[in-house]
Amino acid sequence: MDSGLAMAGVAVADRSPAAWARVSERVALYLRALGIEDPLHRERLLVRVRQRWEARVSAVPLEDPLEAGIEEAYALLDTWLCAELDITGELDALFTARAAVLSGAVPNWTARFAGVSGESIAAQVRAAGVQPEPEPAPLEMEPNTINLCCHDLGRRITGALRVLAGHEPAAAPPRTEQPR
Amino acid sequence: MTSESRIGIMGHHYRRILFFLLVLLTTLGAMSLLSVAFQDGGTRPHELVMLGLYAILTLWISASFWTATIGFAMLVTGRDHYAIANADTRGTAAAPSGPFKTALVMPVYNEDPVRVFAGLRAMWQSLVETGRQDGFEVFVVSDTRDPDIWVEEELLWRRWAKEMGHPARVFYRNRVENTSRKSGNIADFCCRWGGRYRYMIVLDADSIMAGETLVEMVARMERNPKVALIQVPPVPVNRSSLFSRMLQFAGSLYGRMFTAGLSYWQLGTSNFWGHNAIIRVKPFADHCGLPKLPGREPFGGEILSHDFVEAALLRRAGWRVWLAYDLGGSYEEIPPTLIDYAKRDRRWCQGNLQHSRLVFARGFKPLSRIHFAMGVMSYMASPLWLIFLVVTGVAAYFQSLVEPVYFFGNNILPVWPETYTVEMTTVLWVTLTMLFLPKILALVLLAAKPALSRQFGGLLRATLSVLTESLFSVLLAPVLMLFQSKFVLAILLRQNVGWPPQQRGDHQTGFAEAFGTHLSHTLIAVVVGFLSYWYVPSFFWWFTPVLAGLALSIPVSMITSRVWLGQLARRAGIFLTPEESAQPRVLQLLEQNLERAGTPLCTTATGGDLWYRAVVDPCAYALHASMLPDETPNRRRRHYLEGLIFQLQDEGLGSLKPNEKRALVSHRDGLFELHTLLWAAAQPPSAGQIAGAAAGSGTAHQ
Repeated sequence: MDSGLAMAGVAVADRSPAAWARVSERVALYLRALGIEDPLHRERLLVRVRQRWEARVSAVPLEDPLEAGIEEAYALLDTWLCAELDITGELDALFTARAAVLSGAVPNWTARFAGVSGESIAAQVRAAGVQPEPEPAPLEMEPNTINLCCHDLGRRITGALRVLAGHEPAAAPPRTEQPR
Repeated sequence: MTSESRIGIMGHHYRRILFFLLVLLTTLGAMSLLSVAFQDGGTRPHELVMLGLYAILTLWISASFWTATIGFAMLVTGRDHYAIANADTRGTAAAPSGPFKTALVMPVYNEDPVRVFAGLRAMWQSLVETGRQDGFEVFVVSDTRDPDIWVEEELLWRRWAKEMGHPARVFYRNRVENTSRKSGNIADFCCRWGGRYRYMIVLDADSIMAGETLVEMVARMERNPKVALIQVPPVPVNRSSLFSRMLQFAGSLYGRMFTAGLSYWQLGTSNFWGHNAIIRVKPFADHCGLPKLPGREPFGGEILSHDFVEAALLRRAGWRVWLAYDLGGSYEEIPPTLIDYAKRDRRWCQGNLQHSRLVFARGFKPLSRIHFAMGVMSYMASPLWLIFLVVTGVAAYFQSLVEPVYFFGNNILPVWPETYTVEMTTVLWVTLTMLFLPKILALVLLAAKPALSRQFGGLLRATLSVLTESLFSVLLAPVLMLFQSKFVLAILLRQNVGWPPQQRGDHQTGFAEAFGTHLSHTLIAVVVGFLSYWYVPSFFWWFTPVLAGLALSIPVSMITSRVWLGQLARRAGIFLTPEESAQPRVLQLLEQNLERAGTPLCTTATGGDLWYRAVVDPCAYALHASMLPDETPNRRRRHYLEGLIFQLQDEGLGSLKPNEKRALVSHRDGLFELHTLLWAAAQPPSAGQIAGAAAGSGTAHQ
């Protein structure tokens, strides 16, 4: 595929070990920022990120490899969470779960994420999830009408005077906009 | 209708007739004294103006005077047959049944999140101590626009929600658009979650309410199914400056008489003060959706002071609104300095003047109209006093030009001109009595109730406090008169007011701020003092209390803002309040929570620019993103966000305005794009670099 792209004159993404070395350094830093402190867990995750990254830079050659690496690390986390909690396609649930694990509310999640632990942590992740808003319980709340006593008084007096003077028909057209 | 309720309604009418009769008779009496003094040689035009102004102002101050006097009588006797505390009208209306919840609703707008959450936690802890917390939930409805404060609110909410565990009892939402300000914020809450609650207790960022009070508010609503709102008057607390301690003392001592007096004649047509009140949610949603007033701002457009209007709309729909003056356990914090106080007045002034259009609107109860008129008068009184003083000065000047004629016609004996010094002095004394007698009555109340007196530091110290407070009131009144007159004029000239958040914490007024703010007051005092002394020396001496306040406004403003003076006065037992003598439990809890505050949930997100940390720190980012609505920005919005990201890359963080920062972190897609972009930058984010970039280093993340 790469050679085909090269023959077609399209820039080919650098998938060399040197390129990955540059990317992996940053991805490792990022994984650490996610809370993955154990070097063993990071190593295992880096291997999986690399697989995803290589597939991606091959498919989208013009992309910034560093950015792709970070995005793939995050995508790996999302994929794992969806699988762990069986919430594929449920965006809000995914965001809640992500917040739960990254805030440190779920102990040992990194081991499970790295595939070191075989014990499911779905229950802990769900328990650590906090919903900011309750289920909707809507009520109607329409603006009420407040009829001001002297609104447009000048205009109304002028109108009445004009009617008296015979300039306009007595029955004025109804107001389209009610004062509220 | 039961005979008991008939007696009740008759009693209500009797109270109101008595109150308004007293006010009217006092006003007529004062006016007759003044008109006697004017009628020498026929009433001149400027005298008619003075008479008219004096009538309005006397009506205003005599209403306050009689409210305080009646309140004093009620507190001394301890009798109030119609108080909401004693009412149980479950038999007269269909009461809702079944289990229900009450929401503690805290609307916030760029407030200090640490204080907001410390206060809410204190209220919750106090509720837990009552053992009745099960029926309550906390709802922080944020209109905060500042991106840093927004993120901090989220982190503090998250930490608390995590501590509370399941079932969830603390909720948070930040509105995408803050349409219609606070009233729109509450309306949005009702529209989305109102059906979940039978009652909501509306708070303010500086509100604190004791658990027992919250429980009792709900109990009173349950006992009275026709009541839609119970307002518990908040007592000012927790400030330390001399100015705020004087206000706290006055609010605590005189305030209890005024609120008792207000309840006496307002009864079931009391008012809503915007917070520290319990509201029945369904009728509120049905009847309190606020329209926009026709015409342009400041008198048209959105209703700014929504509380009065909401109370009037509830009454219009037949619901009762009560003032629970006896309840206690309701507190608020007040501006710490004279200048901050004036700034708050500026915000309130526009809203209250807007009510002038509602006084004669169709359908409102007469007492609701009086509330509107009183709201207007609370600001219009100042320019009216000012005009009254100016007209009096001008009249005195023209009077001084008149040469007395002792001999005219064929009289060989001199005809002495009539003097009306006695009448004029009486007018002055009547006015002063109405202004100062409530303060003396407050001392009599303390003398009659030794336990209460001890809470104010004893009768001697309380007397000294009242004297000192009265002296400062005399000095501050002319300054506030000029401030409020300026605000009213600005509003009449259609200069709009923004919606700046309040300055709530203790801070002191420096010379530059005081000089800049009060220079005009000082100059007015000097010029008017010179003119009156030169042209009408007799008037000058009458005028000195007003001139002294203005001339000394710079030092008085600075001195009263001093915290050490406030603390010194406290140590001496001056301006002591019951809340200072024996700190209520809920205020102790607040203090403890504030001391313990400071560890946000994401440990790397401590301090610095929280907005930026919500972009780069994965923990803060994940929390923030989880609270954003799941919606994809439209094409136009996407282009705008991309433009901002380019701006951030090219010109650095410092180039972004707060609203642009907010826009960047308002959508999950844009936020993720920014998150990965910054992590893929030449320099990876780290705590140290984040702080540097947040300070505006610009290119650190390019």
